[in-house]
Amino acid sequence: MRPEQSDLTDARKSQGDRLSEAEAIERAKQGDEEAFEALYHLHKRRVYSLCLRMTANTAAAEDLTQEAFLQLFRKIGTFRGESAFSTWLHRMAVNVVLMQLRKKGLPLVSLEETMETEEESPKKEPGAEDVRLAGSLNRLQLEQAIGDLPPGYRMVFLLHDVEGYEHNEIAEMVGCSIGNSKSQLHKARMKLRELLKTSRAEKANQP
Amino acid sequence: MTCEEFGRVLPELEGDHHNNIEQEKHLQTCSFCSGLVSDLNAISAQARLLAEDQEPSLRVWNSIALALRQEGLIRDPQVSARLLGSRLGGWKLAWLKPVTIALVVGAALLLELQRIPRGTPVAQQAATSVPVIGSADGLSQGSAIDADQVQLLNLVASRAPAMRAGYESDLRAVNAYIRDAETSVRNNPNDAIAQQYLMNAYEQRAMVYEMAMNRALP
Repeated sequence: MRPEQSDLTDARKSQGDRLSEAEAIERAKQGDEEAFEALYHLHKRRVYSLCLRMTANTAAAEDLTQEAFLQLFRKIGTFRGESAFSTWLHRMAVNVVLMQLRKKGLPLVSLEETMETEEESPKKEPGAEDVRLAGSLNRLQLEQAIGDLPPGYRMVFLLHDVEGYEHNEIAEMVGCSIGNSKSQLHKARMKLRELLKTSRAEKANQP
Repeated sequence: MTCEEFGRVLPELEGDHHNNIEQEKHLQTCSFCSGLVSDLNAISAQARLLAEDQEPSLRVWNSIALALRQEGLIRDPQVSARLLGSRLGGWKLAWLKPVTIALVVGAALLLELQRIPRGTPVAQQAATSVPVIGSADGLSQGSAIDADQVQLLNLVASRAPAMRAGYESDLRAVNAYIRDAETSVRNNPNDAIAQQYLMNAYEQRAMVYEMAMNRALP
């Protein structure tokens, strides 16, 4: 998994002014509220962003963020520091979201997979203007397009391209094969490309 | 290699690493497929840069803190320790021995005094001071919820039915906390630590009200 740059930066930043992450972990193990709060503030953005992108619903994302931190704090006594704290927390948050989605009966892997196999092959459209996205793609456009992805595609795309998990990790978390994870990711990217191009075309046609 | 063949192997390709000579050749000669790969890589690269700039509302931490307190994971004695620490900080060690002796003697005297019956006990007075609605689940009277709280819970239920049980449980817990703290203050009116507990308990209740109101409002 890709290192969590922002979390590490945040954690180090806090060492100068307030409580370092390592100190906070030790104090949280003793039941210190200030330490729990410090850990929460260090990692809340990342966990919440993950939950929000996965659910596309503010209230649900907040409930999941709360549940993820509660699970973490309940188990903090067992944290021995073999892995980075942020990795541990993040994996827990992902599991909380996946568990919640399973409870709601939502498919973790897109059901559209079998119906949209043609998406795997690039389609040439004669006469169509081939405007490349590279170089002109911005964060807001991408955020919006991700929100429009079918849930199953969105899940694998977020886990791989945004969160940095490998296909074997995703396959284990989601309960699918590595090949399936790769295929879902490819379809998600293709769908995003299509959504981004459509959005661009619509904007270009506006008076 | 044709575009169709390239499309079939594309899901297996990671980023720019195309080790296969045929694939490389195809990309060099086919602007359509090279454009596609370039777009997919751009999407992937931009995804890595997505910022974590969204922040959860204050409600989230308040709820976590409340749950941690209820589960006993946050230990209140730290408040006591801090208060005691600040009080004892200015004292010289020599004062501790006589003060300890005086406290022990005082405690023994108090125990003796408690054996003498003196009308209605303070704890019973406290129990009748708050109007409560009988608890249906057999919880202690201290955790029962009053009419205003029932109204608030009904408001929450009208907006988010699934959340009602959670807030009811929080209110019962915080009511019980207040009840214990009030009893403690009545029994020891000059005890700063008991007063601090009571203040904490009121703050907890205000927090639950705030969260419930946020849920109840459109």
